[in-house]
Amino acid sequence: MLNAIDKQVLKEVADLEGIPKGAYNIRKNGALLGREVSANINIETNEKGDGIIIDIKPGTVNESVHIPVILSKAGLHDTVYNTFIVGEGSDVTIIAGCGIHCGGKESEGHSGIHEFQIKAGAKVKYVEKHIAIGAGTGRRILNPTTKVFMAENAQAEMELTQLGGVDEAKRFNDAKIGAGSVLLITERVMTEGNQTAESRNEIELAGTDSKTNIVSRSVIKGDSAQDFYVNLTASARCYGHIECDAIIMDNGINQTVPALRALHPDAELTHEASIGKIANDQLMKLMSLGLDYNAAVNRIIQGFLR
Amino acid sequence: MLELKDISFRTPESGAGTQSPADRTIIQDLSFTFEPGSFYAITGPNGSGKTTLAKLIMGINELTSGSIIFNGSDISNLSIHERSNAGIVYGFQHPARFKGTTFRDLLSIAAGSDDEDKLVEIISRVGVCSLDFLDKSVDSKLSGGEIKKIELATVIAKNPKVAIYDEPDTGIDLWTIGPMVELLKREQKDNKTTTIVVSHNKAFLEAADTLLLIREGKIGYSGDLAGALPILEDLSVCTFNELCRGEDNAQCYR
Repeated sequence: MLNAIDKQVLKEVADLEGIPKGAYNIRKNGALLGREVSANINIETNEKGDGIIIDIKPGTVNESVHIPVILSKAGLHDTVYNTFIVGEGSDVTIIAGCGIHCGGKESEGHSGIHEFQIKAGAKVKYVEKHIAIGAGTGRRILNPTTKVFMAENAQAEMELTQLGGVDEAKRFNDAKIGAGSVLLITERVMTEGNQTAESRNEIELAGTDSKTNIVSRSVIKGDSAQDFYVNLTASARCYGHIECDAIIMDNGINQTVPALRALHPDAELTHEASIGKIANDQLMKLMSLGLDYNAAVNRIIQGFLR
Repeated sequence: MLELKDISFRTPESGAGTQSPADRTIIQDLSFTFEPGSFYAITGPNGSGKTTLAKLIMGINELTSGSIIFNGSDISNLSIHERSNAGIVYGFQHPARFKGTTFRDLLSIAAGSDDEDKLVEIISRVGVCSLDFLDKSVDSKLSGGEIKKIELATVIAKNPKVAIYDEPDTGIDLWTIGPMVELLKREQKDNKTTTIVVSHNKAFLEAADTLLLIREGKIGYSGDLAGALPILEDLSVCTFNELCRGEDNAQCYR
């Protein structure tokens, strides 16, 4: 059921050697390729038929769901609307991601809209990887949207990664964080050639003692361009921090705009942002341990995007 | 054997226009031979050129003139990593702070292996870093003392023939300096490491077989500590009095 390209894509986006264990839903070229549900995790197609609903029962712990998307058909632009309902007190890992294999001249694209309803006391780790491979010349386009609604005392950790191959990416992350809940977002993006990537984030610390930490790591190679925007709004006593770092290599360009908005007197918001080349002292250190210039650059970038 | 032959280092005077590049001499016609397996301490007033000298040996600063001979080969034109792989390693005074790179990464680069047992063995050999440092990110969250311990460990992990430590005691607590001196002595003895420590700390000056006093880019004295003491005491007398006592200046410039 999986061909060689599918296997390669699955390996890249979800670290899967084949069909995963536990609940999964594999989408290929706009259609369902395979689905498995578990006793606690149900997956079904939504009413409109334009996506799936992943329903995780309250109290489900130590389970994972894989929902990778494979795109290998020239000219296809696929859009899905997936909803995740993470039940009260559950503790789960969701592995998503989209891999494009482009073999021709026509462009291929995927827009995944993921909505998370994270119920009280639930804990979720969401890992999303985007890659594009193949010898074709068509543009590879990925426009992910993530909407997160967190109830009280929930925790969500989101790792969003796009390391090369994607020509155009427009990401939008929207989150509303309830009382006592914690949202951690780490975004890692590497662009090269003439690629462009944009990330817009609207995060609201809505409940008392809500917390967030937003980390963005960008590496901009060749003639590529990346823009990162985040608006962090505090409507209650809360704590929020934004940390965005961009390393520019070659002729890359970058715009980083972190914005803080406190609408409550007890809000505590901070941000740090930096754009620049690889720091000279880091290169000197690795070279003094025996790495040549190129190897030192690679190790620094590897660590930075880890 | 590491031989410095008439080495000089000049740098454009900061603030000088491009029209008239005035050069400032940091190291001037300095010659010295470091014998294999010996322990050297380099000391001298701030701004005398100690760190520059250490960086010239490592290749971080390029010589303006002169040459450096290491075990019979001229290494003056070798890059930093080539000198490192030839056996010279430098521990920075202000170690780089990374984002994402861990102590484990640095240690495995230095040791040329990411084998867990080997890394643990190095950490036990160094002694001053605890095992839970291994997966710590070498970033700005580390304290000044922690990062200096990591720096020291990475130098030792490379098994250098010549180890240069630039003020290794900066930020280190009083209780660690003794063990640190012992560690460097042990490495010198067990591995015949030529050890060069840039320091003002008496503990390192006492541990050294030979002390080099750098003044205004030259070697003002080389020999044992006893011989250096009168000069060191002389240096501790303030020489800025004339400047400070002037009519317009009413502050200490030291």
